[in-house]
Amino acid sequence: MPTTITEPAADVVILGVGYMSGVIAAELSIASLNGGKNYKVVAITKGPYWDYVNDFSTTKYDEWGVGLGRKYDSPLPLQSATIRNTPYQFALPVRRYTMPIQYHALGHGVGGAAQHYGGTMGRQGPWGYTQYSSTIARYGASFLDTVNPHSDLEDWPLTYAQYEPYYVEWEKAHGLCGDYNGSATNQPSDTGYPWMSQNYPLPPSPLTPVGQSFQTAAQALGYHPFPHVSALASQPYINQYGVPVNPCVYDGYCGGPCDYACETGAKANAAYRTIPAAMKSGNFTLVVNSFIFRLDTDPISGLVTAARYYDPQGNVHVQPGTVFFNGMWGYNMIRVMLLSGIGAPYVWNSSPASVTGSVGRGLTNGYLPYRGTNVSGTLPNNGGNAYPAGNGSGGSVDIYDLMDDNFDHSVSALAGDPPFIGGAEIGAGGYPGGGPGNITFAGGVSSASMGGTFKTTQKDKYLPTKTTLSSTPLAHDLPTTDNYIDLDPHYTDIYGDPLSRLTYDWTPNTYNGATHLVKKVKDIFTQMGAQNVTIGSTVAPGAAHNDWWGHHLRGGCRIGANQSTSVWNKWNQCWSPVSKPVFNIFGAGEITNTSGDNVPSGTHVAGPQSYRAAEGIKQYLALLTPGLLT
Amino acid sequence: MADQTRREFLKLGLAAAASAVTASAIEIPLFNNQNSSMQTKLDNANSQLNNANSQLSSANTQISNLKARVNTVVGFVSLSVTEQSLLEKIVETIIPTDTDPGAKEAGAIYFIDRALAGDYGQSANMFMDGPHVLPRIPASTTNTLSVNPTLSWANLPGNSSAPITYTGGSIGTPGVGAGITSSPRVGSGINYQYPLNFREFWRVGLVALQAYANSAYGGNFETLSSANQLLLLQDLWGNKPTSFSNILPSDFAYELTFMTWAGFLMDPIYGGNQNMVGWTFTGFNGVNFGNFYGEGQDQKALMVATAPTRLKPASLAQYQQQASGGT
Ligand SMILES: Cc1cc2nc3c(=O)[nH]c(=O)nc-3n(C[C@H](O)[C@H](O)[C@H](O)COP(=O)(O)OP(=O)(O)OC[C@H]3O[C@@H](n4cnc5c(N)ncnc54)[C@H](O)[C@@H]3O)c2cc1C
Ligand code: SF4
Repeated sequence: MPTTITEPAADVVILGVGYMSGVIAAELSIASLNGGKNYKVVAITKGPYWDYVNDFSTTKYDEWGVGLGRKYDSPLPLQSATIRNTPYQFALPVRRYTMPIQYHALGHGVGGAAQHYGGTMGRQGPWGYTQYSSTIARYGASFLDTVNPHSDLEDWPLTYAQYEPYYVEWEKAHGLCGDYNGSATNQPSDTGYPWMSQNYPLPPSPLTPVGQSFQTAAQALGYHPFPHVSALASQPYINQYGVPVNPCVYDGYCGGPCDYACETGAKANAAYRTIPAAMKSGNFTLVVNSFIFRLDTDPISGLVTAARYYDPQGNVHVQPGTVFFNGMWGYNMIRVMLLSGIGAPYVWNSSPASVTGSVGRGLTNGYLPYRGTNVSGTLPNNGGNAYPAGNGSGGSVDIYDLMDDNFDHSVSALAGDPPFIGGAEIGAGGYPGGGPGNITFAGGVSSASMGGTFKTTQKDKYLPTKTTLSSTPLAHDLPTTDNYIDLDPHYTDIYGDPLSRLTYDWTPNTYNGATHLVKKVKDIFTQMGAQNVTIGSTVAPGAAHNDWWGHHLRGGCRIGANQSTSVWNKWNQCWSPVSKPVFNIFGAGEITNTSGDNVPSGTHVAGPQSYRAAEGIKQYLALLTPGLLT
Repeated sequence: MADQTRREFLKLGLAAAASAVTASAIEIPLFNNQNSSMQTKLDNANSQLNNANSQLSSANTQISNLKARVNTVVGFVSLSVTEQSLLEKIVETIIPTDTDPGAKEAGAIYFIDRALAGDYGQSANMFMDGPHVLPRIPASTTNTLSVNPTLSWANLPGNSSAPITYTGGSIGTPGVGAGITSSPRVGSGINYQYPLNFREFWRVGLVALQAYANSAYGGNFETLSSANQLLLLQDLWGNKPTSFSNILPSDFAYELTFMTWAGFLMDPIYGGNQNMVGWTFTGFNGVNFGNFYGEGQDQKALMVATAPTRLKPASLAQYQQQASGGT
């Protein structure tokens, strides 16, 4: 008979132990970082503690089990999500992992999704934080209405300059690799990020020949190329918490559509960067294999009093605490808040003026490979060992010249292309590593994948004597009032609680941006000496297609300056509902992203928010009278 | 009731394997030079590990020997005799044997057979709960869809148990109540909405395929010319059969094509890609990172090379055997 067990109270209760939570765990449990205070920190997560030596080192190359079976990821029978394009549709549940397989491959266990991500990183620049007001100021309010009907775009509460110190801490903790000014690689080129005050802690991985070729071509065209920023350690490293890090061994089986776990811990995530420091503090308790399903609230104050979770035997545990950090991945963060009645739930209306609430509001999607137009070409005399050598995100070169507001977006400047704001990070040269799944199955299979003719195209395919270039600009996706997350009325998780329901369709801005950017990519490919450079056909609006839902969903639980449209204030502290804020819960993660964003990662925007939240929590714990931080 | 039992069963298995542990029970592998008490613990753990490792390596050798055998053993654990002969011809149509080995030499059918007997066939990592509403109601359909909410949703404050009606809503213009009622325009894991696990799906699909072979091509699939065999499979992709046991023919064609290629290319440990013929054909080195057979290559150098280097592939079983100290 399952029973209910009440655990000893903690100062800080961390919900879900992924990337963001690791930072909170380290920052709040190490007394020397808290002016000597010993806070008792308890962190609860579903899934196990992964140890790369025992769990991954000899088994991660199992492509069938890892890539398709997703044996390290969130089991779908435990919990899935439903998806639809418009609020008028019945949402269908995601029933399986497919190829390309990472759609819903969310994290499970300590380290979360970053146990098996590509490690693409970077920073969001100044424009990203003020994109609403900057756009209005430069192009006028009606321009935004044109590019983003039903727009729900807002500025962040703070500026880039105010967030920069948190970026620095985040980058140090995780040993990010890059070179923003050429100093680490002795490159003649300069400024990928003119607004960075110091370089990344580690140099980039060696550039692949394709990366080098892209660099030369981009430079010749007047762009500012820089090595791709990655979270896969290029060298041995020790972070500010004294946690040592192994370097990458470039064995492939790393990124790409299959996204593998890492056998050396070089792939930065909480389990091998921040959690070890928390463990050493003596103030930290880690509870694994436990599924959080409710937050209890005080009927009078409305504040969170405890987290409720199921242990593997089905017993219910109640974990009381003073302050809570919501570090559950993406829609789980929202789901548990909605199930527990915390904050004002977002209520959709076809008229943007009539929508209400904030929990679930402003969903965007940062990864749209098959919608945007694709450019391809072939680089002769340049082949190599694309598989499995390489790592998930190192070795390539990027430019930022075609993103943010780094070029003129006015209608006259776009040479007849439909208008948009933002743009995309453009780059080339990364070898995702990985096995057949990353090549033969990269786009799924079709009627063309059968018979002798197709078979011939696969011969020696993994030993290319020339390189096939391909780029799909992942243009800027903006929040609208029609894209959101709520609870599904029909499907439940294994414990009987409603699943998250995702209502999402592309915004014209994303589509228009890609249409324009592919032409620029074509120019770069041509400059690289590529042959047969062609722009592929776009997927028509409304056509069925593959899309990578899930792993880069952003927004939906936003940080903001407007209390009625955001969940978290500038301290990442909950200030919803306006009438009676539940102010003892804090949050960070991709899902707290306020605005659209045009770098294919997304964690780079979320990461610094975990440091901001840690500071907020410390301030909150120091308050004599608990309340909203100002 | 049956559903309830399954849920109880899954709950215990899925939430986790081990019981909740606290920090002290977990060793962090990289921490040895940081903390001396950690170090002592680690040393103890290491010596235990060494003992375990030597036991493991002898066990591993046995396992590898067994696996090596499994890979060459011909025999079926799931497919019936009728299914075997039909599927054999299907996989050979998808990846024919020419001057190079095809699905036949790779033993793709054994890969599929074992997958159907295991997690794939059981749909073990799938979300299988109802309601089962089929997607792809044609865009032209204006029928509304009315579905009862689950009790747990209806019990949340502000919700009711009244049926919920969906009117569709056409693309990009919310507010227009016509169009696709239940079909997001994404293939992202939502295509498969059948109340069947994959073993059942294949059973039904193979029967339907054989029936179509007879009605449209005048004989069992096995008896058709190879040109017609390929045409028939193309028909499935194009959803030509009008009756196909209530499954969308292209959904079945997807599984057939995908699983055949998987049987050609996945690690031999799963019964296909026998003798690594699929890897040799595609030039993939499996888990040979440049020095498995003493080639003296280095991954970092291979990564930045402009010309390809052909390496003899190594399999997972070989790799694990080497890693555990075996030969
Ligand atoms: C396939 C894939 C590829 C990616 N590639 C990149 C990339 O190249 N670059 C990049 O920057 N980002 C990438 N990302 C995104 C990156 O992994 C995430 O942004 C990051 O991990 C988010 O951190 P988090 O702390 O918010 O959540 P996570 O790290 O996912 O942690 C969430 C934790 O909460 C736990 N949890 C969730 N629900 C519950 C519950 N109900 N009860 C208990 N515990 C719960 C989970 O088990 C997990 O441990 C990728 C993500 C995926 C899925
Ligand atoms: S390539 Fe490097 S970062 Fe990627 S999984 Fe291997 S060791 Fe880890």
